[in-house]
Amino acid sequence: MSSVATQRRKAAFARFWAAYRHDRAGMAGLIILVFFILVAILAPILIPDDALDVTKADGERFDSPSLGYPLGTDDSGRSMLLLLAYGTRISLTVGLAATLVAMIIGTAVGIMAGHFRGPGSHVLVGVTDWFLVIPFLPLAIVLATVLGPSTLNLIIVIGITSWAGTARLIRAQTMSIEGRPYMERSKALGAGNWHQMTRHVLPNVFPLVLANTTLTVAIVILSETTLSFLGLGDPLAPSWGAILDRAFSSGAVSRGAWWFVLPPGICVVLVVLAFTLVGRAMERILDPRGTTA
Amino acid sequence: MIRRLLVGITAGAIALAPAAVVPQAQAADPVVFTVGMLGDVDSLNPFTGILAEAYEIYQLQYATLMQPSSTDFTPAPGLAESWEESADGKTWTYTLRPDLVWSDGTPLTANDVVYTFNRILEGRYEKTNYGNYLRNVTSVTATDDRTVVVGVSAPSPIMERLAVYILPEHIWSAIDGKAVKSFANEPEGGQPLVGSGPFLVAERQDGQFIRLVANDTYYAGRPKVDELIFRIYNNPDALGQALKKGEVDFAEGLTADVFSTLEGVEGITTYAGAYSGFNELAFNMGAALSDGTPIGDGNPHIQDLAVRQAISHAIDRNQLVDKVLNGYGTPGSTIIPPLYSTLHVDPGTQNYDPALANQILDDAGYAMGPDGIRIGPDGVPMSYRFFVRSDSATSVKSGEYIKSYLAEIGIEANVKPVTEDALYEIIGRGEFDMFEWGWVVEPDPDYQLSTFTCAKRSYKDGDTIYADLSDSFYCNPEYDALYEAQSIETDQAARADIVKQMQQMIYDDVAYVVLYYYDNLEAYRSDRFTGFVGQPEGSGSLLFQYGTYSYANVQPVGADTGDATASPGATASPGATDQGNASGETASTSGGVSTGLIIGLVVAVIVIILLVVLLLRSRRSASADSRE
Amino acid sequence: MSLLQDVAVGEPDPIRAPRVSGSVLRTVGSKVLRAVITLGFVVVFNFFLFRMLPGDPIGLYTRGRNQDAEQLAELRRELDKPILEQFLTYIRNPFDPGIDSTRFSRPVWEMIGERIWPTFLLLGTAIILASIIGIWIGIRAGWKPGGRFDKISTGTTLTLYSMPEFWLGMMLLIVFSVGAFGIPGMFPVGGIVTPGVDTSTPAGWLNVLWHMVLPCTTLTLIYLADYSLVMRASLIDERKQEYLTLARAKGLRDVMVRQKHAVPNALLPTITLIFLSLGFVVTGAITVETVFSWPGLGLLTYEALRGPDIPLLQAIFLLFSIAVIGANLIAELLYVVIDPRVRS
Repeated sequence: MSSVATQRRKAAFARFWAAYRHDRAGMAGLIILVFFILVAILAPILIPDDALDVTKADGERFDSPSLGYPLGTDDSGRSMLLLLAYGTRISLTVGLAATLVAMIIGTAVGIMAGHFRGPGSHVLVGVTDWFLVIPFLPLAIVLATVLGPSTLNLIIVIGITSWAGTARLIRAQTMSIEGRPYMERSKALGAGNWHQMTRHVLPNVFPLVLANTTLTVAIVILSETTLSFLGLGDPLAPSWGAILDRAFSSGAVSRGAWWFVLPPGICVVLVVLAFTLVGRAMERILDPRGTTA
Repeated sequence: MIRRLLVGITAGAIALAPAAVVPQAQAADPVVFTVGMLGDVDSLNPFTGILAEAYEIYQLQYATLMQPSSTDFTPAPGLAESWEESADGKTWTYTLRPDLVWSDGTPLTANDVVYTFNRILEGRYEKTNYGNYLRNVTSVTATDDRTVVVGVSAPSPIMERLAVYILPEHIWSAIDGKAVKSFANEPEGGQPLVGSGPFLVAERQDGQFIRLVANDTYYAGRPKVDELIFRIYNNPDALGQALKKGEVDFAEGLTADVFSTLEGVEGITTYAGAYSGFNELAFNMGAALSDGTPIGDGNPHIQDLAVRQAISHAIDRNQLVDKVLNGYGTPGSTIIPPLYSTLHVDPGTQNYDPALANQILDDAGYAMGPDGIRIGPDGVPMSYRFFVRSDSATSVKSGEYIKSYLAEIGIEANVKPVTEDALYEIIGRGEFDMFEWGWVVEPDPDYQLSTFTCAKRSYKDGDTIYADLSDSFYCNPEYDALYEAQSIETDQAARADIVKQMQQMIYDDVAYVVLYYYDNLEAYRSDRFTGFVGQPEGSGSLLFQYGTYSYANVQPVGADTGDATASPGATASPGATDQGNASGETASTSGGVSTGLIIGLVVAVIVIILLVVLLLRSRRSASADSRE
Repeated sequence: MSLLQDVAVGEPDPIRAPRVSGSVLRTVGSKVLRAVITLGFVVVFNFFLFRMLPGDPIGLYTRGRNQDAEQLAELRRELDKPILEQFLTYIRNPFDPGIDSTRFSRPVWEMIGERIWPTFLLLGTAIILASIIGIWIGIRAGWKPGGRFDKISTGTTLTLYSMPEFWLGMMLLIVFSVGAFGIPGMFPVGGIVTPGVDTSTPAGWLNVLWHMVLPCTTLTLIYLADYSLVMRASLIDERKQEYLTLARAKGLRDVMVRQKHAVPNALLPTITLIFLSLGFVVTGAITVETVFSWPGLGLLTYEALRGPDIPLLQAIFLLFSIAVIGANLIAELLYVVIDPRVRS
């Protein structure tokens, strides 16, 4: 019985891919992403064991780019290039993990708020609204301060401050699906709430969740960079934001050490841009009339 | 003579008209010495302020009975020309200098001293900042205008180091114990505050500057510059640039990066002065309350002397100074910095020697495990929590280095960055194995030494555990006995001997690994000013000392001849009346940034309103058109 | 419910607003009420979140002072009141946290009062510049989507949109203030005014302006990316509307159509967005003020993080929330007042 569904989904994916392949911006974004994901996966292989150990760094401090150090060195004499490669791993991990948290909360709240009627739903909508209205960074700062600086806390903080937009989108989608005939039929046949939500609503909102996820990752990575820059992440885990924080606090700006500042920023811009391009392309294909925009 | 007005002109892309705060020149141009610093004063009220910047102003404004000398920090005369302890150690007699006068002409007498001391002893709020100095005092009396007799409950060496600012009774008696809490002590009506120090606060703008004028009645003679301005910069880069441009004559408390960009710049002298602070790696020596009840969850390995010795040998203090401090500091040893040459002892045995460290651990039964982490005799891996301060870039950096040093000898340090406030709590509850923090050591070693006594361990009030001064939970009856001995030893040399023994004890027991003593980074326009006095001379900080030596001595380059040639026509010296006028004029400029900003806001609001109106109009016409 | 929710994030009311002015009043009333309730939640949240922090605020507050144990104990007793009693005291006046800033030992609202003006100046200027430039770019790009201007401008604005604003600030500082790539440093490295320069004179004004160039450029570039993308999108939407085809059919010149019809209608969502984006504007203020040492609320937030200075953070969070909720309310009311479906 599932083979029919599998085949149907395979076909749907093939259709999606055929359309996606012709979206130039989307493809450009995808290629950039694949590159960064490869770097992140291969980072432990590419980087020699001692290269990021501060006590063994052999470069001059704040050395400008040279043959030995193509992107110069940081304030401890480590190679910026290797540091950046390792940072890719951390930034992407935090970005994806926090997005996952946001997606799970957002989808759950959205579907429940759209599916149920009554005061419970109103409370969920109210909470969603509240998170939408409260300024993101001050809220994240306050939460991160209470939890303390660590990578895990950073993921939690970004996750619980980034889900509201998704929840709102999913709720609207759910409400439109709820009105469709097969839902009426399912209800008439006595399907429980859980069955309705997981078997009918979720698969139908899923493609949109995916497109929305991609856009959310972009914002989440920017948030990670900002929070790490403010010293709210783990300063010993060199994410791109943490590298920028370090550049700022070690006086790279007054030394004019542009190689310490420029590359991590370019990485952030590229990855955020890539996720945005991919997300927009997916939206264009999945929802050509722009009903969700 | 230097005209500050000319200096005020900014040599930038935009040529600005002279706009310095300093008023138009008087008949004789005042010599102005401008210091740039990175923090504002929190309050001009000496009972309220807690920041170093505030204390710098207090000691300029109000003299103390004595102050640490510029040579070796031994007590030197201030308002008091001499003092004497009675044979039984229960009475101290201070003799004031003759003919002391407050800046407003009122005589400064023993009564002012009695008033100030009693105010601290009797006041609740007043006790906060100065109570510690007078904790043994039982009575204070003035036997005549120049003699103060103080009774103490026990022999007290601190009575030679009373850093208590003597306040003018005729001014402060109007401010009662309640009003003092909110008393700002700011100059009013253009008149400088009444004081007895070398300079008097004449004008202040929060977050921008504090202007002081020379005190003609200062007991050591009027300072050689007429005005002293502290300008507040909120960014070390901006301060460095200001020094280069000549907007300030002295830059205080620079960061290493900015400091190095100033090295070798013409007309500027950079000065890395030894400072009285150190940073340490501290151990949890067995956390307990002051009554001995164990608390916390420190790893018992750390209580093994061999482990702490091994860690001390594993740390390359020279590399830390080079890489974390950019070389501006010296490797650490004991808890009293070498700056205090009469007190510091050089123990020098725990050198960087990873091989020896490994050997110590092998001998003590900590065998190397398969994953490069040693296993203790109790079967537990040598993996410890190591807290660093996320507020401080140097702390985090030290953490990175130490983690790597310890990995070399098979110890895993789990570096946990937390804020200072959080760390303070963690330490108080004893829930740590190691941490990195620092102390600034006062000329009187009592406070620093007390942090290792059993009594200063945490205490309990109700169900809550509160931190006291001890952060290593070191407790050694022998040490406590020495602490008691030094606290009642009023013979300086004998006390120094005890203090040295105590340092050695802490060093040998490795309660701390003192990582480094850091420098205070200063730079000044040596093409303009000269006469700075370091504390100690030649190696210590030039400003922000325990005393006002540089301020009293700083003078323009070539001042001996310059004064006469620069103002040939002026016969009158820039006396008190001139300064009175000067303050009156500048007081009117205190509209500050906000005046300008209000205008800016008005403009912004107008633009927004215009936008909305335009929008409304075009919308109306648009809809009118489309209806046709 | 859905109506209010949709409006909360700045989309046009999906339901036609009724014409009767009494209903307009009712709508306004419900929106104001809603904003007040949201604010109420902020206040409650603010109180309990910080009470969750473990620890000894009095110990922190008095650290470094020579206070004896007895004095400490007395101070603590004042804070050891039951949580409900504390809450009631707090709720009566949320603007009086009772305890001074732990870092600056000053009343927090006094400090905020000083720091609010520089932020107003910087953000106000940046928002006005970004709106004007962003809307202009959006109009040009959106009128001929797919054209050369559109391609270049959309590429640029998307890139700016992907940029951490503080990074842009740091790069501008390195290039134009410290000097790099052969460009001499010509702007100040931070601050609002050269200390010692009197800001009540025209020269002082120029000095402030000179300090403002780089931070303001940074924020303007980041904000205009957002504004122009929205303007472009809503203009493209508007072009599809039938009346424009009608207007063209009547023989109105293209430029006329653009300026008389499409642009004013497309402006509405953009202006609303400018108000609604305050939450995002605040984010920029915190990091950019930090990078440029601009002595406003953003830098104060960064300073409060060191410690952390809980009373100060609490007050700043409350203030930012009020500002954003207030701006949201203004945007919603703007809709009620000028939406053509109400007016015409």
